[in-house]
This record gives sequence, C-alpha cells and structure tokens, in this order.
Amino acid sequence: MSTKPELVKLIDTTLCTACRGCQVACKQWNEMPGLRTKQVGTYQNPPDLQWNTWTLMRFQEYRDDDGKFQWLFRKDGCMHCTDAACVKVCPSGALYHTPLKTVGIRRDKCIGCKECIAACPFDVPRHDAATDKVYKCDLCYSRIEQSVPPACVKSCITKALTIGPKDAMIKKAYARVAELGGDANVYGDKFVGGTHVIYVLQYKPEVYDELPVNPKVPLSVIVWKDLLKPLSLLTAGAAAAGVFIHYITHGPKTPHDDGQEQKGGE
Amino acid sequence: MKKGYVQVTDSYERIIHWTMAISCLLLCLTGLGMMFQSFNFIGYLFGGLKNLKLVHNFTGLIFAVSLLMAIRMWWKEAGVFVFPEDMDWIRAAGGYLWHVDKVPETGKYNPGQKAFFLVVAVFGVIMIITGLIMWFPTALPVALVRWMYPLHVLGFVAIFTFFFVHLYLGTIGNPGSVQAMFSGWMDKKVLTMLHPKWVKEMEHEGKLVAWGEEKKSDAHGHSA
Amino acid sequence: MNISRRGFLKMSGAVGGGVALSSLGFNLGPARAYADELNKMNRVRIAKQSTTICCYCSCGCGLVCSTDKATNKIINIEGDADHPINEGALCAKGAGFFQMTEANEHRLRKVLYRGPGGTAWEEKDWEWALPRMARLIKDTRDKNFIKRNAKGELVNRCEAIGHYGSSNVDNEECWLITTVARALGVVYMDHQARVCHSPSVGALAESFGRGSMTNHYIDMQNADVILIMGSNMAENHPMGFRWVTKAQERGAKVIHVDPRYTRTSARCDFHVPLRSGTDIAFLGGMISYIIENKKYFKEYVLNYTHASFIVDESFYFKDGLFSGYDAKKRKYSKDTWVYEYDANGVPRRDMTLTHPRTVFQIMRKHYSRYTLDKVSSITGVSKENLLKVYEIYSATGVPDKAGTECYALGWTQHTVGVENIRAMTLVQMLLGNVGIAGGGINAMRGEPNVQGSTDHAILYHILPGYLKTPPASLDTLDKYLKKYTPVSHDPKSANYYSNYPKFMVSLLKAWFDKAGTKDNDFGYSWLPKMDDGKHYSTMHMFDRMYEGKIKGFFCIGADNAVSSPNAGKVRKGLEKLDWLIGENIFDNETYQFWRAPGVDTKNIKTEVFLLPASASMEKEGSISNSGRWVQWKEKACDGPDQCIPVGEIEIKIMQAVKDLYAKEGGVHPEPILNLYWDYLDKDGHFSATKTAQRINGVFLEDTVIEDKAKGTKVVFKKGQLVPGFGNLQADGKTACGNWCISGSYTADGINKMKSRGKEDPTGLGLFPNWSFAWPVGRRILYNRCSVDLNGKPYNPKRNLLEWKDGKWVGDVPDGPWPPQAEKEGKYPFIMQRDGLGAFFGQGMADGPLPEHYEPLEGPLTKNPFSSQLINPAIEIFEGEMDKIERASEKFPYVITTYSCTEHWCSGALTRWQSWLLEAQPEQYIEMSDVLAKEKSIKNGERVKVSSVRGSVTAVAMVTQRLKPFTIEGKTVHQVGMPFNYGWLFPKDTKDDTTNFLTPTVGCANTFCPEYKAFMVNVEKL
Repeated sequence: MSTKPELVKLIDTTLCTACRGCQVACKQWNEMPGLRTKQVGTYQNPPDLQWNTWTLMRFQEYRDDDGKFQWLFRKDGCMHCTDAACVKVCPSGALYHTPLKTVGIRRDKCIGCKECIAACPFDVPRHDAATDKVYKCDLCYSRIEQSVPPACVKSCITKALTIGPKDAMIKKAYARVAELGGDANVYGDKFVGGTHVIYVLQYKPEVYDELPVNPKVPLSVIVWKDLLKPLSLLTAGAAAAGVFIHYITHGPKTPHDDGQEQKGGE
Repeated sequence: MKKGYVQVTDSYERIIHWTMAISCLLLCLTGLGMMFQSFNFIGYLFGGLKNLKLVHNFTGLIFAVSLLMAIRMWWKEAGVFVFPEDMDWIRAAGGYLWHVDKVPETGKYNPGQKAFFLVVAVFGVIMIITGLIMWFPTALPVALVRWMYPLHVLGFVAIFTFFFVHLYLGTIGNPGSVQAMFSGWMDKKVLTMLHPKWVKEMEHEGKLVAWGEEKKSDAHGHSA
Repeated sequence: MNISRRGFLKMSGAVGGGVALSSLGFNLGPARAYADELNKMNRVRIAKQSTTICCYCSCGCGLVCSTDKATNKIINIEGDADHPINEGALCAKGAGFFQMTEANEHRLRKVLYRGPGGTAWEEKDWEWALPRMARLIKDTRDKNFIKRNAKGELVNRCEAIGHYGSSNVDNEECWLITTVARALGVVYMDHQARVCHSPSVGALAESFGRGSMTNHYIDMQNADVILIMGSNMAENHPMGFRWVTKAQERGAKVIHVDPRYTRTSARCDFHVPLRSGTDIAFLGGMISYIIENKKYFKEYVLNYTHASFIVDESFYFKDGLFSGYDAKKRKYSKDTWVYEYDANGVPRRDMTLTHPRTVFQIMRKHYSRYTLDKVSSITGVSKENLLKVYEIYSATGVPDKAGTECYALGWTQHTVGVENIRAMTLVQMLLGNVGIAGGGINAMRGEPNVQGSTDHAILYHILPGYLKTPPASLDTLDKYLKKYTPVSHDPKSANYYSNYPKFMVSLLKAWFDKAGTKDNDFGYSWLPKMDDGKHYSTMHMFDRMYEGKIKGFFCIGADNAVSSPNAGKVRKGLEKLDWLIGENIFDNETYQFWRAPGVDTKNIKTEVFLLPASASMEKEGSISNSGRWVQWKEKACDGPDQCIPVGEIEIKIMQAVKDLYAKEGGVHPEPILNLYWDYLDKDGHFSATKTAQRINGVFLEDTVIEDKAKGTKVVFKKGQLVPGFGNLQADGKTACGNWCISGSYTADGINKMKSRGKEDPTGLGLFPNWSFAWPVGRRILYNRCSVDLNGKPYNPKRNLLEWKDGKWVGDVPDGPWPPQAEKEGKYPFIMQRDGLGAFFGQGMADGPLPEHYEPLEGPLTKNPFSSQLINPAIEIFEGEMDKIERASEKFPYVITTYSCTEHWCSGALTRWQSWLLEAQPEQYIEMSDVLAKEKSIKNGERVKVSSVRGSVTAVAMVTQRLKPFTIEGKTVHQVGMPFNYGWLFPKDTKDDTTNFLTPTVGCANTFCPEYKAFMVNVEKL
C-alpha cells in the first residue's frame, strides 16, 4: 500500500430506494446518537444534516414538465472537495486533506470556530454546542485507509453507493448517465477541483432540494485566504520594516536637534 | 517627575488606552494563532487552541467596550480634521519623512494621530461587528456571514499595520512621548515640539498643569 | 465456523466499475495491545467475530458482530460481506442492529412482576418466578382441563390457556414452544404467521403442494418481468429488492401494482395504483387476457397442471356462489368440487382442453366475466394501465422467459387472502412460470423466522412439518393416518405424502420417546384435539379472552395490544386474564396493558410476569428465511444480567411444571410426565444443538435401510442422526421433530445449517453449499417443471436442472425420479396427490376458483360481479365490540395499514432504538393532496382518524403519492397508515395503535385479519 489511489464515492440516485441503511450505518460506525425528532409530514428525518447525522436521505416529490411524477431520493453529506473551502478556512488543521484526497476531520483539533460552516458551498459541517465541535462525514477514513469501504457504501442495498479509484468511478458515472439519457447528468467532477463524492442525477441539479447548481469556493474565502491573509503579513512586515528604516535613517525626533532631522531628510 | 514637565493625560485616558492596547495586542496575537496554522503554536501559551479561541472571543468583548469608550472620549479631539492646518501638516508629512523648515503646528493630536485613531475606530468597530457575527455564524444568512471573515481580516490588516507605526512613533520615534501614556507627564519642550499649538492653547486658557509650578523652586534643567 | 477473515470487511462488492482496491482483508499482524489507543477500525479487527442473521424481515441477511474480548461486549455490528443474500449490505433496521445489544438502555435485564392491582413493575429473579409461574400454569390447567367434549369425544385439551408467539425466536426455540404448548393441552395457540402469511400456506399448498415461497431472494435476479403486487418490497423486504434491481440491471421490467406510490414504486419501471382489496379483479382480468389471447404456455399447462382434468357434473358457479353453499353456516360443502375418475381411479383428462368441464374451460368461463371495463371500474385502474401490465407480464408465457411475482401482506391480509394468492398461482401456472429460475411466487415472509415458526407449527391447526392437528373425531392414530395419508392410483404421481405415517410417528417419538409405543399409538391420544370444524386462531383466542374464558396467556416475542386487529377488544380481553407470561427483549404495550391510558389499573387482578430474553445475537440457533434457507447463528456474547434464551425459559418453565406434576400428580399428567425433555447442555443451559438434532431426527434403534431399486443396504446405529426424511420410519425406530428439516445434519453429525460454501455451479445464485434449505437442500421448488418431458431445460440460458446421462444435474431435483416421459418418470408436483399443479382448489373454504368479493368494510353497496358483496365463507364475529359500517358517509375513506422500512411490525423492537425512531418518529397518515384540500388539512397537521370501532390521532402526511380512485363512477379516496406505534414509547406522544381501527375479521381459509382494507374518516384536530 505504498501509493494510495484517489478515491471517489459515486451516489447513483437513480438506484437508491431510500431505505436509509446508509443513514443508520453511518451512525452505527461513528457512534453518533439518535435524537428525538418530530413527524412534520415527510419521510425526511432528521429534517436536515445535524451534528449527529452526517449522511441524510432527502425525500422530494417532483413532477416533471411532462407531468410525470417521481419521488426523488438523495443522500446528502460531505462532498469531499479537492478545492475544499472548509480545509482552506479551518484555523486549526482539524479539517485536512487525507492522503486519499478526501477531507478528513481530526475532532481533537477542532476549536469550534464554525468557519467551515460558513465556508462550505454544500452546507455540510454542523456544530454541536455541547462539545463545541464541528462534525461531518470523513468518508470513514479509518476504514478506507485500510481498504475497507465506508459504512454507508457497505450498507447500500442496491449498490447506489459505490467507491473506487477516481477515474474508474467517473467513467462509470458517465456510462450510467449515457444509459439513462434525458436530463441525467454527473454532478461533482467539474467543480471545486472535482469532488470525491459524485452523483448521478436523473434530473438537472436545480431540480433537487438543497443542491447548489454551481458550487464554488466562496469568493469571500478566496479574498480572505488567498488575498488578505498574505496581505496582512505583507503590510505588517512593510510597516515594521518602514519604521525600522525610518529609525536608522531619520532617527528619533527630539527638540533642539532640528539639524539632524534635516540631515535625515535626504 | 521633573521640572519642565506638564500633564498631558489623565488616568482615565490612560486606563482606556491601555485596556484597548493590551486587548488589541492580545487579539492580534491570538488572532494570528488562528489565522495561520503555522502560528497554531501560540495556542500552547493558552493551554490549547480552543482556549486561545475563547481568550480571543472574550478579549474581543473587552476590546469592544474599551474601543467604544475611547471613541466617546477622543472623538472630538482626534476624530475630526481641522482645515486647513491639518492639510498643511499632511502636505509636510508632519516633518517625519523629509526636511520641512517649519512643521505646521497642530493641536493635541496631529493628523497622523488622528488618522491612526480613525483607523482604529472604524476598523475596530468592523472587527467587533464581524467578530460577533463570526462567533455566532448560524444566526444570519450564510451569504452575509461569509463576507464577515474577509472584513475581519481586512480590519486586522489595517490595525496591525498602523500598530507598528504607532508603536514606533509613540516610543523611540519620539523620545519622551511615551511618558504621556505612562505617567501622564511630558517634557514641555518635547510637547511643544510635537504639539505647539496645543501647548499655546492650554497656556492661553490657563489649563496647562506644570510640575511643581506652585513651588517655583527648581530651575530649568535637562536630564538627557 | 469457517468465516473468511478476509471477507468480513472486504472492499469487493462495494467497489464499483469492476475495479477492486487492493484489500488488506483481515491481517491481524501488528495489532497493538491496548484497545483504548486504537481507532475503531483496529478495535474491531482485534475483536471476536461471530456471524448472525438479521432478526427482522425474512430476507435472512448475514451480520457480523464484533465482541470485545476483554469486556465480552459487542462493539460493532455490520453486514457480512461473505453472505450471498446481502453481501454486506443492510437496510436501516439491520444497520441499526447494534441498538438491540445491551448498549440500549431500554433492554429488559431482570425478571419483572406485577401482582394483582399492582401499579408498577417489581424486580424479581428466576428462582422466585419459576415456581410461581409453574403453580399458576398447573392450577389453571387442572381446573379447566377438558377431557371430553360435548359429543363425548376424547379431546384432552385446556381451552383456558392461550399462547401467542413467536416468529422472532430460533427454530429450536419454536420447536420447544410448540412442544410445551401441546404437552399442556393448549389449543388456542397461534403466532405471527396467522396474521402474516397464513394465507400463503393455504394458497400455495393448494396449488403446488407446499406452502412456502417457491424460489428465493437471489433468484429474483433471473427474472425477465417482476410483478410486485401486494407488497411494498423496497421498504419491507429491502434486501429482496436488491435482487430486483439486479434483474433490472440485466434488462428486466419491474411493475408495481399498489394503492400507494411508495419507495418501491419509485424504483419500478412503472406504478399502477389500485384500490385496496381488489386484487382478484385485477388478476382475474389478467387470467382472462392470457387465455383469450392464447398467451399461455400450452405444453406446460397440459403436462404439468391439471387443466385437462374433468370436473364433476354437479359442480356449478352462479351469481358469486359455487355449488354446495350453506348460507346459514356460511360454509361450503365441497362434495361437488371433485374430478371424474376412470375405472382405475385415475383422473379423466381431455388433452385437447376443449371439453366444457375441463378445469381449463371452467376457468376460462369463470374469468371471461372479468372484462377490462368491469375490472377497471372496480379496481380504479385505467384500462390502458391494465392492458399494459397484462401485456408485459403475459409475455413471459414462453419457454425462455421468466416472470416472477413478489407479494407480502398486501395480499394475505384480506378476507380473500388465500384467493388473492391463488389467483396469482393460476397466472403463473398458465404462463409456465412455476419451478423455473426467475419465476415462481415469492411469498415474502414478514418475520425473521416465520418460515421456521410455521414449519414448527406454533399454530392451532397443524403439527410440526405441516401434519394436521388431530380433530376430536379421529380418536386413534390409525383413523388419523388413514384420513390424512392421500392415496393416488395414478402411477405417474409420486404422491409423496403417502409417507405421512412415517412423519407422524417419528414426531410422536420425538415427543414421547420410550413412553410412546405401538400399543399406546405412540402417545397419539395424549395430544390435544380440536373440535371438528372449530377454529382457534388469534382472533378466536382474543374473542374468547374478551368473554373471559381464557385465564392464562403466554405472549412470547409479540405485542398483541398493538398488532392484533380491533386492539380495543384485545386490550379489554387482556384485562380479564388471571395471569400473563411475557418473554421478550423489550417491554411493550401488551405486557403493560394494565397501565395503558384509560385503564383502571388497581382493579386489574392479572398477575404479569415479564421474562428477560437474550436477543438474537446473544444465542446460538438457526432461523429460516423466506427462501427456506435454514441458517445457523453464532453466539456473540451473553445476554445482559438475567437474560436467557427463550429456549431456556421454555425448558425451565416446563421443567418446573413437570416437577410439580411428578410431586403432586394432576389432571392428564401423561403428556407432561412422558415428555422427552433433555435439551440442556452439560452446564445446565439451553442447547440449541441438542434440540436441532432432535428436530433433524435420530435413530432410536439400530436400523437397516434397504433401497430395493438400487439394491443397497445401509446400517444406522442407535443414536445416529437421520440423514434425511427418506430414512424416517413408521414403526417407531426413528424420532424426528420435524420431517421437513430432516437432513439438516448428516448422519455423522455435521450441521449443514452452518455451511458457508460460496460455490455457485449453475451461475443462477443457488448457492447449494450455503446453509441448509428445506427440503433436502432444494433451492427452487417444483424445479422439474423447468425441463420438458424428456428432462431438457426449457430455457437453456437459465439451466436450473437437466437430465443428463441418466442423472439430474443442477439444483437438487424435486423428487429423484427420471423425467416424466420415462417409464419410471413422475409428475413434477410431488406433494400433490395427483402430482400436478392445481388450478381448481378443491380444498378451499371459499371456492375452487378465486372470485372477487368486496372487503368486509368497503365503499360499495353492491359487488359489480355478483350479488355476493363480501366473501360468503368468512366467519362473522358478532360481539359487542365487533361493529361494522360499510359504504357509510360517516366513514367514507378506504384505508390500508402497513409497516415502513425503519420500523418493524408493532414497533415493539424498533421504537426503543433511537436511530430508527429518529428517522420515523411518530404516527402518521398518508393522504392525497386532493383529499387534504377537501378537508382543509395541511401537511404536518394533526388529525383524528376513526372507524366505527375506535379512533387514533396522527400527523397528516399530505402527498402526491396517493391519488383518488374512480370506482363505479364515483370518487373514492384512499388513505394509509403504518401500524408501528403504541402508547408506551416514545413517551412524548399520545398516539396509539392503528389497530383500534381494524375489524375482527379474517380470511375465509386461514383467519388472517383484514388489516389492508376497511373504512375510516379523517378529521382535522
């Protein structure tokens, strides 16, 4: 195992039966509790990703333009971006790129600053007030690093979830889309440097609840991390250097020695 | 203290200044610890990065209070430019950068000091607002929250940069001036050099408090 | 056990695109010593691994439990990647299996007791509880024992003790339960199979000879067309659906016919909504379509079914009634439902199928009434949709195509439950889809071991191995055997049940061993007898309980107060008990009936014992999945605290009762004292192995088995295990607890149920070396139908079986005889007296051909097919709490009830599990947006749902997935509710069971309650 392949998890939404094996298997493996919820008129529960729910089955009733009804299921969770905004903003290194190029999380390092929550274009990380830490899927890093599939993938009944080397999975996704035809599309390989979780969608991305059509690392994060962060050191350094030079060239300003000041003005 | 010294600040001013200065420094330090992973080691000073975050957040509150009080206190003196005198001073760069035969006279705060105050006031307020939102990021729409982070850093860039200049000019760049924020007394000569107009005003209004003036015993003298 | 260490967590199967990551498998090499320092993956790797089988639906998925060696506690449970059915995958319930371990704070840990008038549980122990329970059992039995019935016939029964459950315990435990109940003389004994798949047994045994699922889950991948009707498969048999999607991947069409658009519909090629309770109309139309359009597989129909048999002249069908109906008794005399025989006693046949009294022509005439217009008007299915389904499905009526049907409780839980399924058997036989790979009728059982609990007959009407419970009129073994051993004069008919005496005598020997001799009919007279024509099913039992006639009640692994129909009546009945003994892993509404809302706790005299049982993975034993795979489970760890396996509880209770009878004597002590009761291991604990061997069968004496045809002689020693039911004897030389399961051990004692071989020589997914499948390892029943008369496969692409060089190659053939065309050849349906598939159901209570009748409570006042509105042969309960209100404005909506993926049955196991409860937190009712608009109900609002029997509250789930039907020109709304909730838990809702609404009525043949179609009203709260 000297070279680790870059892994991609494929979610073929057209095969999913929304049995929620993945949702529970995730909790089982990661030892996350179940919390009390309410029935609010949908099968989707918890209503959204939560600190204890890293993989969530979304249920959506949809009627297409031809009047054909379809109950859409989408497993939501971390997309494991190559260009991961959360990793960019994480101050403590809790969020990091694993050798498999997925986005891991070292919870002991998390300081609960929630910067990743605001930065994530997919609205994935969740904060728990009790532990003051952020939680999200780490694609079962302790498993995949030992070539064992993530809990969700292993549990998947219809093989809607599969995992494998990046190129092969992307190829597989496109083959499936070609087979499905229509609006079917591959979601994930073309933005944020390519995600390590990709979808096969039956309809255009805009049809799906809570799925950004064109996710990007937010401009604010780029301004912040790529522009202002280096700038801050630069300007601070420049200021420090400036005063130093001023001191050694102009010297301090004291009464009675205007002459010296003149000298330094050259 | 010595003869020839005059009182330039009262203790209230000094307490606020130092509260703000220390909290700001601490914020810069802790902020740096979170801003750059290479500075994460600063966290060790606080028993971990998480404590560092807490120190940063709560120090922010102290800074916020002191900044607001400072603004209230100094706004009239340092927050408003007086033209055309200030413009003359700016054109001459206060005599710091090139030879100026006669530096335009300024009041208690020269435009450089005013600029620094304004930077601290404006960016400080930005820091407080953005900081609070960053502390509770889930309370507002994410599109808005996202811009708080670069704004916070922008504030840092400004304040941190000016900090070096302020440190220099308030200490070794202007020997004698640092006393203003420690003892509150300054050599009248230095003060007259730096803020001639203010000295005149105070003298004119009879507000100038000089060391041992009632006793009139000590002769003028220097202690270099 | 030979579990592949590499296989446990391996990547294969999960890796897509045909690429495999290099797998480390299970290299235990440098595992570090201190588990605390390790991440979970490493802790799991160094743990003890044991395999088990999931304890929910009947898919039979494999799981691996990892038990920490230091603490002996389970730390992780996930799918068994080596298991051929689930290949490591699990649905929500299976994935949450861990929450059944003692890590769940709600698990029962101590013996709980509630005395008369008590308001709370008291903690007790076994030493206290066992003698007390034995005393109550003995006193109740002695006081209420019935030696002779009103007619003076010897019946030896005790009607004052009822017994319910369980399909959730292991085979060995089921067999002990059935044994205890019979020894006590209990006749009111039933379990989940009654309310679940009892009609499947009735229907499939009538048509094919055996009552079980014909094929198995993996085989669904071989189908060309899959009709899912009467099932919400993706939700309730999720792993079965894995193989449906596999077929889809290979190009199969999948059709879902169901009142609701569900998670199943979402993955099918199309969904056809039909009104609850109109399946026979739908299928009748299909039968007519197949016949009139000559879509049937003629060679198959001629050779393998009795389509050509000629029915007696006196038989007729008129206006919804078959000949022989007695309106007063609501019963048929079946005297006219017979065939014509020739002089040799062989049925007369017309191989041209043109004789008007051939079964074929009678069937044709019967279903010619099911025109598209009429079917559409009754079912609410558009004619286009009807034709679409008929066309696609009947296209499988050719030799090289296979169509399969998957159903579950959507068909069984009706007053026409058996006939729903029978209708499909007709379709399948016409199309030649029975006995082939990718075909058959897949009766998807609802509980983990309901196949096993049915095999072992925790049921009033049968004994283990589908032998009949003796009625009072058959007072001697001789009379009994004569009546139930069928006789055929057709030399081509194997008539396997001619071996009935061997099975029955071996069963009696398993029970009474040395005490049962030829002279005392092997103890036959000690068994409890039913009154002829009387029934003792679940609903009858609660009816009697409500009348106060049942004093003591065993409720094992069940929650009748939530799951039984007309739950209000059930709960009132429980209040009248003297004692209740519960055995379970969690508390539930039945055990706490005395504390239910509105109950006068202090005035309830019932003594209640709640005995803590080990969970499924905390004990060894076998369970049988729907495809008849009898799979052995390993024990991962001990149950917490006082928990012991149900088998051990049964042994201990019975031992205490035995001791009392030995000491004090009592009424009819013979079956108790003479009962062979050696099922403990040397440490005094329940031995699943000993019990399993008794079930398999053992030679009680040295026996020589001679095969005259082969000219061989085999000698078996006393004490050796019987290698298969072919070796059972009718003279008392063998003891066998259940002939169906005989052969689960080899004569040398190798347990085939433990087999984990992954070989698949046919490539059809039979996995002949994985576990044991009854009978004798056969994976697809009636498989000799897959070949032509000369033994050549009809579909060479899916070669299930072939006669090659004088031998059968492929699956274990259904009967060893040569192909039908050869001299010694036999017909393929060997368990049928006549050896052929039966279109004409001579044994049915409600008619030999399925006919559409409306549900007991329906929206119509007139049956468009006849003047018989409801099934004329159902038993009507007429107690004060058995109210009916049909076609009424007060209750205008058709409702159906069901379970969801995340909960299981009454929810008595799953509601205590936070992962599952989180996903489906409380009671809801699904209704169409059209109805919701009409009633001004918004999604998520609380509503009251009421029937004439009671009302419940729920959250409205307004959805486009349900649509109003147009029935007989009128708009009829359909709603649906799960029955997974009860008052006990979760505690923050007041919602109670949906079964307050359901009627006490059942299938005419098997008394499976009509949960699936009745009438309610919905009001905004």
